[in-house]
Amino acid sequence: MHNLAGPLSQVASSADVGVPAQGPAWASLIVFLPLLACALCGVCAIVPAMRRTKLPAWITVALLGVSFVLTVLLYQDVSAGEHAKTVLVTSWEWFHLSWGDAPGQQFVASFGFYIDSLTVLWMLFVTGLATLIALYASEYMSHDVGLGYCRFFAAFSLFVFSMACLVMGDNLLLLYLGWEGVGLCSYLLIGYFYNEAGAVAAAKKAFIMNRIGDLGLALGIMLTFWHFGTIQYAELFPLVAPYVEALKAGDIGQIPLVVQAIPLLLMVGAFGKSAQLPLYVWLPDAMWGPTPVSALIHAATMVTAGVYLIARTYPLFAVSELALPIVAWVGTLTALLSATIAMAQFDIKRIMAYSTVSQLGYMFAGLGFLTSTGAAFHVFTHAFFKASLFLCCGAVMHGFAGQLDLRRLSGVSFMKGWGIVGIAMLIGCLNLAGFPLTAGFFSKDMILAEAFVTPGPGYALAGWILLVTAGLTAYYTFRVFFRVFVGPQHAEPGDEVHAHDGHDAHFHPHAPGWAINSVLAILAVASILAAGTYFIEKEQHGWVGKMVHGSTAAEIVVGEGEHAVRAAAFRHDLVGEHAIHGESHEPAGDHATPEEAGGSSIAHGSFLGMDPHAVMYYVSSLFGIAGILTAAYLHGPRGLFGLFIGSRTEAATSRADALVPALGPLVQWARHKWYVDELYDFLIVKPLWVLSHIFHLIDQLLIDGLVDLMGRLPSIGGRSIRPSQSGVLHGYAVGMASGLAFLLLLVWLLTL
Amino acid sequence: MSPWILPILILLPLLGAALVVLSHAARARSIAFGITLGAAAMGVGALASFDWSQAGAFQGEVGVPWVPALGLSLSLGVDSIALLLVALTLLLGPICVAASATAITERVKTYYAWLLVLQAAMTGVFCARDLALFYVFFEFTLIPMYVLISLYGSTNRKRAATKFFLYTFTGSIIALAGLLYVVWVNASAPYGSGEWTFDIATLQATSVQMSAQQQGWVMLAMLLGFAVKVPLFPVHTWLPLAHTEAPTAGSVILAGVLLKLGTYGIYRFVLGLTPEGVMEHAHALAVLSIIGIVYAGLICWVQRDVKKLVAYSSVSHLGFCVLGMLALNSVGVAGSVMYMINHGLSTGALFLLIGMIYERYHTRDMEELGGLARKMPVWSTFMVFFAMASVGLPGLNGFVSEVMCLIGAFQDNTVAQEPFVGATPGRLGPWYAAVAGTGMIVAAMYLLYMLGKVVWGQLREPADHHPHPRLPTDLNAREIAILSPIALLCLAIGLFPAPMLRAIEQPVNDTVQWVWKHAPSAAQYAERDMQRASTSIARGEGDR
Repeated sequence: MHNLAGPLSQVASSADVGVPAQGPAWASLIVFLPLLACALCGVCAIVPAMRRTKLPAWITVALLGVSFVLTVLLYQDVSAGEHAKTVLVTSWEWFHLSWGDAPGQQFVASFGFYIDSLTVLWMLFVTGLATLIALYASEYMSHDVGLGYCRFFAAFSLFVFSMACLVMGDNLLLLYLGWEGVGLCSYLLIGYFYNEAGAVAAAKKAFIMNRIGDLGLALGIMLTFWHFGTIQYAELFPLVAPYVEALKAGDIGQIPLVVQAIPLLLMVGAFGKSAQLPLYVWLPDAMWGPTPVSALIHAATMVTAGVYLIARTYPLFAVSELALPIVAWVGTLTALLSATIAMAQFDIKRIMAYSTVSQLGYMFAGLGFLTSTGAAFHVFTHAFFKASLFLCCGAVMHGFAGQLDLRRLSGVSFMKGWGIVGIAMLIGCLNLAGFPLTAGFFSKDMILAEAFVTPGPGYALAGWILLVTAGLTAYYTFRVFFRVFVGPQHAEPGDEVHAHDGHDAHFHPHAPGWAINSVLAILAVASILAAGTYFIEKEQHGWVGKMVHGSTAAEIVVGEGEHAVRAAAFRHDLVGEHAIHGESHEPAGDHATPEEAGGSSIAHGSFLGMDPHAVMYYVSSLFGIAGILTAAYLHGPRGLFGLFIGSRTEAATSRADALVPALGPLVQWARHKWYVDELYDFLIVKPLWVLSHIFHLIDQLLIDGLVDLMGRLPSIGGRSIRPSQSGVLHGYAVGMASGLAFLLLLVWLLTL
Repeated sequence: MSPWILPILILLPLLGAALVVLSHAARARSIAFGITLGAAAMGVGALASFDWSQAGAFQGEVGVPWVPALGLSLSLGVDSIALLLVALTLLLGPICVAASATAITERVKTYYAWLLVLQAAMTGVFCARDLALFYVFFEFTLIPMYVLISLYGSTNRKRAATKFFLYTFTGSIIALAGLLYVVWVNASAPYGSGEWTFDIATLQATSVQMSAQQQGWVMLAMLLGFAVKVPLFPVHTWLPLAHTEAPTAGSVILAGVLLKLGTYGIYRFVLGLTPEGVMEHAHALAVLSIIGIVYAGLICWVQRDVKKLVAYSSVSHLGFCVLGMLALNSVGVAGSVMYMINHGLSTGALFLLIGMIYERYHTRDMEELGGLARKMPVWSTFMVFFAMASVGLPGLNGFVSEVMCLIGAFQDNTVAQEPFVGATPGRLGPWYAAVAGTGMIVAAMYLLYMLGKVVWGQLREPADHHPHPRLPTDLNAREIAILSPIALLCLAIGLFPAPMLRAIEQPVNDTVQWVWKHAPSAAQYAERDMQRASTSIARGEGDR
C-alpha cells in the first residue's frame, strides 16, 4: 500500500516558504555552454579548414558534456539536505517596463533561472542524453562532413540551449522562449535533408502545428499576467498558494474562474509541443529528420516539454475544475489512437514515432490522474529506452542505406557486428512493452494504478483503455523486434545507396562503429538502471518521486496517513468532505480493503474490487505479456527466438497477413493513420487556402478597384464639367471671383 | 543634447544632395555614402548625448520663427521615441546607399540626390515640434519616393508611383484639414490660447478640451492620413504595388521608415490631440487592425511574388503595431513603439535580401526560383534568420514587440482590485489579443511557405539564367556587411530589450497617462467594467 502522506504533505507545506535564495552563478553555464557550442559550430562553418573535419561534433560533445557535469553538480547542490532547495540564478534583465509603483504595475521577465528538483531532474536527462546522442551523431552524420555537419551540430546545440531555457527559465516568458526555440531547432533539423520535398513539408508542418499550440500557451501567459500581474515563478507561486489553500479547505468557490481558465490555455501549448490530440500529426512526419534528432528531440526531450509545463504549473492545474480531467482524457485517447496506428505501420521509425505519441499520452494521463510523480517517472524512463530504441533504428537505417521497412529486414541481430544493437533493441522493447521489472513497467504501472485509484470523470474507463493500450503497445513493439531483429537473415538496401557510396548498385551493409555501439550500450544499461531508481526513496515513490515532491509539481495532499487524499478541483466535493471529516476517522488497518477503510473509500477507487496499487503490477504484466505473445505468434520466427510459437521463415510474410482481410477496412484505416491528415487538410487547410485566394481577389478587385474608381472620379467629373472650360476669359474670371468670395465667406464665418 | 545636432541631421543630407548634383556621376555614390555615414555617426553622437533620465522631455530643442503672423516656427526637438526612430532612419541611410551599388547604374546622380533628400525629410518628420513643420516634412517625403519608384522601379513602376502618390497625398490632405481644425480651435475658441500657433504642446492642451464628438471628427480626419501611411486595412492597397515595384532601397525605406510615419503620427497626434476620440473608437480601430493582421497574412500565403509576400506581410505586421497602440496601456504602447523599430529592421532586411536575389536572377517569382540553400548558403542563413525575426521568434527582436502588443491588447479596463492584483487597465480585451494572436500562426504559415519555396527544396533557377557579371554566386563582402549590423541589432534587441524599454518607458507612460487623464469617459468605462467584473465574480461564487 502506498503511503501518500508523510513526506508529501510536509513538502507541500514547505513549498510555501518565501523568496528562494540565490543559487550558484555557474549554474547559468549549463544553459550558455550549448549556446557557445552553437556559435563555435557557426565559426566552423565559416572557416574552411575546420569545416572539413569532425570538429563541430567534438565541440558539441565536449561542451554538452561539461553542461551535463555541471548539472550533476547542481543536483548535488540542490538535493543536499533534508528537502530539495529552490534557488534562483539571474543572468540579466530581459523585459522590464514599469508604469507605477504598485504591485502588478510592471512587466518583468528576467533572463534568469529557477532551479528546483524538477528542473534538475529534467536537465539531468536532457544534458546527459544530448551528450550521448551528440556522440552517436558524430558517427551517424559522418557522411555529411562539411557545411551540413556544421549546420546539424549548430542546430543541435541550439536545441539544447533552448531546451535548457525552457526547463530552467524562471518565468513563463523565458519558458516560451525555450518553447519556440526548440520549435525552431526542430524545424531546422526535421528539414535537414532539405532536398527532399517531404522533409521540407514535414518541417513546416511541425512548426505551424506547434505555433497553434504556442498561441494557447501565449494566451495562457497573458491571462496569467493579467490576473496575477507577474509571470515570474518566484512571485507567481506564492500568489497561487491562497487558491491551493482554498482547494485544500474544499472551498473551491474562492477560486475565480479566470484562474481556472489559465491552465485550459496553457494545456493547448502542451498538447502542441507534446504531440497530443488534436495536434499530434506533426510528430510522425518529424521522422524525416536524421535519427539522432528523432531520438533526442522527438522522443526524449522536446516532446516532454508539455509534461514539464503542466508539472511546473501543477498548482494552477490542480485548482482548475476542468483542466486535469481534460488532460487525462486527451492523454488516454491519444495513447489509444496512436497505438492503433503504430500497429499497422511498416516503417519502424514511424512505429517508434507513434509509440512516442502514445507514451506521451500515458504521461498526460498520469498528470490528469493526479500522479505527477508517475508522469515524471515515465518521462524519465521513457527518455532512456525510447532514445535507445530510436538509436537502434537509426543504426539499422545507417547500416542498410536508409532501409526502415520491417518487411525487408530480418534477423539483424545475428548479422556480424550487430550484436550490441540487437541487445539494446531488446532491452528497449522490453521497457516499452512494460515487461515485468523493467523501468517502463514500473513507471507505466504507477500511472495505470492511479487511474483506478483516483475518482474522476470516467477515470476507471480511462484506466481500462490504457490497460488495453499497454497490450497493444507490447504487440507493436515486439512486432518490430520479431520481424527485424530475429529470424532468418535478410536485408534489402534502402534508397540511399547512391548518396552513401557514390558508385551505385553496390550495397554492403556496414555494422555500427564504436561511437554508435558505445552509446547504445550506455543507454541500454541506463534504461535498466532507471528501474532501480524506483527502489531508492521507496516511501516517496522512488528517486523521481522525491525530485517531484520537492518541486512545484508535487501532488497536493490533504489529510494524513491512510486518509490522505490528493486534492484537485475536479474532486472538490471529496476534498471538502475530507477536509472536514478526515481528521476524525479511525486509522484503518494496513490490509484493509478500500471499502472497509472508511475514510479511504472516498479517496481510493478500486480495480475489480481489489486495491489497484496492489494488483496493478500483475494486471499490467498480464496485458504486456499477452501482447508480446501475440506478436511472437504472428510475427516470431520458428524456434527459440519466436518463443516456440512463431512460424515466420521469410522477411516479408507472417501470420498477421492472413488476419488483414478478416479485419476488413480497419487495417487500411489504421495504415492510413485514420485519415486524420486528410481530414485536417479537407477541413482546415483547403478551406483556408481557398479563403486566402478569395481575400486576394477581393483585395485586388474590390478594395483596390474601389480606390481606382475613386481615383477616376475626378477625371469623370472633369469630363462632365468640361463645357465650363470654355476658354473664354471672363468665364474664368467669374469662377475665380466666386471662389474667392466663397473662401472669404468661409473664413468670416469661421472666425465669427 | 546640443541644439545643433537636429538641424545638422536634417541639413547634412540636403547638403549632400546638393553635392551629389554638382559632382561627377561616378562619385555620387561615395558622396552619398559618406554623407549618410556621417549622419549616422552624428546619430550615435545624438544617442550618446541624450539625457536618458529625462527621456520623456524633448531635448535638443531649437526654435526659429518662420511665419510669425501665423505662428509658424521651425522648431525641432526629440524625446526618446523620436530619437530612436531618427536613429533607425540614420542607420538605414548608409545601408540603402550601399545596397544600391550594383542595382542602380543609370541616372545615379538623381537617384542618390533624392535618396538624401528623402532621408532629410524623414528625419525632419520625427524631429518636428511644430505641426506645420511636421506636415511639410511629412508631405515632402512623397516627392523623393515618387521619383525613386517611378524612375528606378521595375515594370509597373509608373502606375505604382502615381498610385502611391495620389493615395497617400489624398489621405494627408484630409489629415491636414483635421490638424488645421485644431489650430483654428486653438486660435478662436474660448478654451484656446486665442492666437495662431502650430506648437504641438500648446495644441495638445487645447485639443483635449474639445468635445468627444469634435475629437472624433478630428481623429477621423487625421487617421485618414496616417492610416493610409501605416497602412491600415482597408486603405492599404497602394502598398503591395509600391513595395513590389520600388527599387530595393526604396522598399527598405518604405517599410523601414515611411510606414512608421503613419504609426508615429498616430502615436503623437491621435493619442496626443484626441484622447477622448481614441478612447471612444479604440474598439472599432482595433477590429480594423485585427482584420488587417489576419486578412493580409492570409493573402501573403497565396503569393507567388516573394516581394509582394513581404509587402503584404508589412500590412499584417503593422496591424499588431496599431493594435498595441490602441491598447492604451504602457505595455501595449511600448510594444507598439518597439514594433516600429523592429519591423523596420527585420522587414527592411528581408527586402534587402530579396533585392540581392533579384539582382542575380531578375525574377521574384517563387515558382521559377527556389531551393537556394545549397547554392547560396550565406544568403540562405540570413534569410532564415530574418524570416524568424519577422515571424516573432523569441530571442529575436520581433518577438519583443509582438508579445508586448498582444499583452497590452489583452488587458481590458478592469480596474485593479482584489483578487485582481495584476490587472492593469487597457482599452481592449482578451478577445482582441486572442484573435490577433492567430496572426502569429498565419505569420508562421506564410513565412515558412516562403522559406520552403525560396530556401529549401530542389534548386530552381530561371531557364535563361546566367551569372551576374559583377556579383558572385553567394553574397559578397559588401552585402554581408550590409546585413550583419541589422542581424546583430535584431539579436541584441531580442535578447536585451530592457535598456530600450527603459528608454521609452517615460514618454510612453506620459502618453498613456495623458490619454486616460483627458478622456473623461475613461472613468465611466472603468466603472462600468468594474461592475461587470464584480458581477462575474459574484456569479462565479454563486455557481457553487
